[in-house]
Amino acid sequence: MRPDPGVREEGAAAPSSAMPALRREGFGPGAYLAFAGVMVCTMILCVCAGSVSIPVRDTVRVIAAAVLGREIPAVSARSIILSVRLPRVLCVALTGAALSLCGAAMQGLLKNPLADGSTLGVSSGASLGAALAIALEITLPGIPFAGTMVMAMLFAFLSLILILSLAYRLDFSLSTNTIILIGVIYSMFISSVLSLVIAFAGDHLKSITYWTMGSLAGSSYKNALVLLTALGLCGAVIVCHARELNAFAIGEDNARHIGVNVKRVKLTVMITVSVLIGVCVSIGGTIAFVGLVTPHMVRMITGPNHKRILPASLFGGATFLMLCDLLARILFNPVELPIGVVTSFIGAILFVVIFYQSRRAHA
Amino acid sequence: MKFRKVFAIVLALAVILALTACGGASGAKKGAVTVTDMTGREITLEKPATRIVALTASDCEILYAIGAGDTLVGRGEYCDYPAKVLDVPSVQSGYDTNIEQIIALEPQVLLMSTMAQTEEQIAALESAGVQVVVSDAHDIEGVYTAIEMIGALMGKDENAAAVVDGMKKSFAELKENAAGDGTKTVYFEVSPLEYGLWTAGSGTFMDEITRMLGLRNAFDDVEGWASISEEQVLERNPDYIVTITMYFGEGPTPEEELLSRSGWEDVTAIKNDAILNLVDNELSRPAPRLVDGAKMMYDFIYGETAENAA
Repeated sequence: MRPDPGVREEGAAAPSSAMPALRREGFGPGAYLAFAGVMVCTMILCVCAGSVSIPVRDTVRVIAAAVLGREIPAVSARSIILSVRLPRVLCVALTGAALSLCGAAMQGLLKNPLADGSTLGVSSGASLGAALAIALEITLPGIPFAGTMVMAMLFAFLSLILILSLAYRLDFSLSTNTIILIGVIYSMFISSVLSLVIAFAGDHLKSITYWTMGSLAGSSYKNALVLLTALGLCGAVIVCHARELNAFAIGEDNARHIGVNVKRVKLTVMITVSVLIGVCVSIGGTIAFVGLVTPHMVRMITGPNHKRILPASLFGGATFLMLCDLLARILFNPVELPIGVVTSFIGAILFVVIFYQSRRAHA
Repeated sequence: MKFRKVFAIVLALAVILALTACGGASGAKKGAVTVTDMTGREITLEKPATRIVALTASDCEILYAIGAGDTLVGRGEYCDYPAKVLDVPSVQSGYDTNIEQIIALEPQVLLMSTMAQTEEQIAALESAGVQVVVSDAHDIEGVYTAIEMIGALMGKDENAAAVVDGMKKSFAELKENAAGDGTKTVYFEVSPLEYGLWTAGSGTFMDEITRMLGLRNAFDDVEGWASISEEQVLERNPDYIVTITMYFGEGPTPEEELLSRSGWEDVTAIKNDAILNLVDNELSRPAPRLVDGAKMMYDFIYGETAENAA
């Protein structure tokens, strides 16, 4: 059906709608429609294609019946579509959107094109939190896997605070290199602590090791609902701070001069980002490169205004991760690849290309 | 490929027999043992080993099965059967294997599988006077070879032969009694849904025993152990499910978890509650207990019979 580079298509669709949007500064309805349209098309493609080939007609009938609450036709593929594929595609799309939004927000906040949950070590912090929750059997009574989730959020936030305060100490201007270097070192440190936890985990060893590998296989509607709630709340907070992020892009001092409460905004954005990353990590493990690459791709289409980058990252991230997951599912059928392999492979190459082009443009 | 492997093993077996025979005939030092290990290296011991370290769980099991368990002075981290083996000090496993500790235990022989250690580590061990012997079985025929090889090393050839004969007899019996015609399918679950499904494809002991029991592995088109798509399991609709997922005593058991999966209701095995949970690695280790695993599967599929109950 549709060829892979969903974002390129956005590129074709965007200029017509982006030009008036530029004057209006925000994201016009036309641009929203274009991005959402591409995302919905990708979603349809991802639900229709998969390890087992199911006629599109059956897929449509089953989903239509389920949505309209009618009796679901007894197609043999019914459970594959409704119980396996649809929840997984939903979870993947929501995770992709959340991680990309986080990436875009952090890149804006820190004025750093390389900032992202995975490069800063926030994701690894979150995974350490979750592993600790498993090893120490921390649970919230009544709610399954809330313990891992809360611990993941908490550790994501602590990691972010730790990394940034360390970076401030070393280099007040928070230059790109300092932050990335500290992030890399912090990730290594966390992975050694994680190994230590695993070494002492005894019986829980297996579930932690499996868990750190990260996988969105076996996603349920419940996971999707949790992700949707988190994304709805945190996404709204982040998108509402687009104006402040724009100010940060010019410089923290300038932001202060035009009346932005720098401290409060910073803290709010960082907490929201940590919560979102914590939720994503506790459901799907760490998925690298999505949050890093998507905002860059999106920026090439929308320009540097966060009022457009943030919503565009939502749709772009969902599209990107869904396509990666589709590849992971069908490339070596019936064997399934870990999704992180695909995102890292595609993401790293894309990133080098983007980096190279932007450097050449500056030179 | 398969044929060549079997051929190589048969050849190795023949060489072992020939060498041991030659050893006797040429009047070498009395009681000396020469074996060819499963990578084709030739190892000579002045006398059968009395102190041995085994890194793989299966080799420990073989040692106990041939009555040489008391010669074990060190074990790999994951050796856990029989329970007695846990009293033997662990020297870790894989990349973490503690070479110093092994040397300190002064064994004559270190039993291990391929790929666990580097050449340098092996050289260090050999210069410290520890003979490294590799056992590396990939099919049941290979397990026989390993048992006989270890038997020869320990001077327990007769016991080893008895264990092998027992296994052969049990397998032959199971094969003869199994009524399946190769149409019913079994799906092996190695890792649960939460962490991505893993199964055992062709070239595994599970696959070999499935065919022996007149059944078909639902994923025999996949080579070795592999992560597979949940959709494919539903599509292939297995008649039986054998799970070797571990259970740590909390949450639903692997069986309950399988039965509660949404979308799996229409799978034949789930509908008939045809799920077997093998908890003790019976079917994943190249050791004599493969027979136990095969019997459990037989009983599970065909119901208990007089011969097997005995």
